[in-house]
Amino acid sequence: MDIFARKAFRRRCIEAPRGTHGACHGRPLARACAAAALLCLLAATGAAAAERAKLPRTSDGQPDLQGYWTNNTVVPLQRPAAYAGRAELSEDEARARVAKALEPTEAEAGTDADVHYQLTDYGLDITQRKLNIDRRTALITDPPDGRLPAPRPEAAAQAKERADFARAHAFDGPETRPLGERCLVWPHQGPPIMPTGYNSNLEIRQAPGFVVIITEMLPDPRVVPLDNRPHIPSGVKQWLGDSRGRWDGDTLVIETTNYSGRTQVPGTPQGLLLTPAARVVERIDRTGPDTLRYRFTVEDPNLWDRPWSAEYPLTRIDGMRFEYACQEGNYGMTNTLSGARVADRAAADKGAAR
Amino acid sequence: MLSTRLSNLVAGAALGALLAAAPTYAHHSFAAEFDASKPLSLRGVVTKVELINPHSWITVDVKDATGKTVSWMVEGGSPNVLFKSGVTKASVPIGSELVIDGYQARDGSNRMVGRNISFADGRPLFFAGSKPDAAPAQQ
Repeated sequence: MDIFARKAFRRRCIEAPRGTHGACHGRPLARACAAAALLCLLAATGAAAAERAKLPRTSDGQPDLQGYWTNNTVVPLQRPAAYAGRAELSEDEARARVAKALEPTEAEAGTDADVHYQLTDYGLDITQRKLNIDRRTALITDPPDGRLPAPRPEAAAQAKERADFARAHAFDGPETRPLGERCLVWPHQGPPIMPTGYNSNLEIRQAPGFVVIITEMLPDPRVVPLDNRPHIPSGVKQWLGDSRGRWDGDTLVIETTNYSGRTQVPGTPQGLLLTPAARVVERIDRTGPDTLRYRFTVEDPNLWDRPWSAEYPLTRIDGMRFEYACQEGNYGMTNTLSGARVADRAAADKGAAR
Repeated sequence: MLSTRLSNLVAGAALGALLAAAPTYAHHSFAAEFDASKPLSLRGVVTKVELINPHSWITVDVKDATGKTVSWMVEGGSPNVLFKSGVTKASVPIGSELVIDGYQARDGSNRMVGRNISFADGRPLFFAGSKPDAAPAQQ
């Protein structure tokens, strides 16, 4: 049977009234329908293949994810209570949310909130740069309510203990200052990488067998091997964990383990540090010429009884990326601690005078 | 699933925002470094501009009440943001006169955070360059 005869046969079979085989002459209708379904599948596969063919690729055939990207957004990690049960805002609401974020607000003079350079003038507020806008009410996609799972009771208790200690000893010395202030690691570096208030940008570079991700703050290059090598020994812990990547079709999948036990995902309860048992899986794929999609799943059986996932877009920005060389002029640490010592002396003098 | 209509739309940045929330993003706590009960206003001549991370610093010579010249350091924003806005050291020439409102360091030293800074002729020193259009979502 040539191809045209096969097509005619198939058409007859498909068009045959239910319960009869019509022109199929005893051939099962299901077989004809399966053949039609296969055709549809082939057509769809062909379309997908055509789409894939349009993807920019590196010289060694990887989907090209390279460039400078921003994850700046006004969408919160967790869904606010006001939007419970709603995954997306209406367009009007989305506009209003952005407009609200753009409203200038001034702190009262003489209050701690006012002790800051003018954020708009210095370009540090969230709206000063390209802003990814979407209608979603939370970055979290799972659980479906857009909220973090409740931490395990023992993890919550330990987190509270750490938070209380941090408050009580905040100014004891550099060791008790936040990691970001010490220029050791910025919490938003991840993985997972999280949007931050300013300099919320990252750079991706690819070479055969490797992907390198550099967040602007702080700019530690995360070199991700793609050659199926095993993770480093479990006893070795790193600030950014240990990442291994692979391609799942045209999606870059990165699995990270070997966490230090001293970092946490921004937006999770204070003191809820990822433990060495944590495993984070990131998925990055291209959604357009100037857009990527960044998805991640966090699991840490010591912290949560279930994994949770989130997603946000990355939008291309102009380069270059300036090195955020945090240590080079970190006068703030000295000023903060010397201020605290002056306060200590004043308190001691006051006590002695009583 | 991201919204297809609004996702990836990119809004130009806009006028001031999230001032209350933004300090939580700062590299360090300014209220820990500077004292809200020590507001001050200075007029000084720029002697040094440090576009260094995590924060920029401008050093100015200020004449005190007795006519004596004293040096003050003024803390500003992240150089990365300033660079992207087209700000360079040339934007604040050595020798230019500035009027600075801010708060003094808690330790009483001649350091302050530059809350608002303008040139002596009244031109505001918009370190972030020209303010972009307030066009939040061009949908």
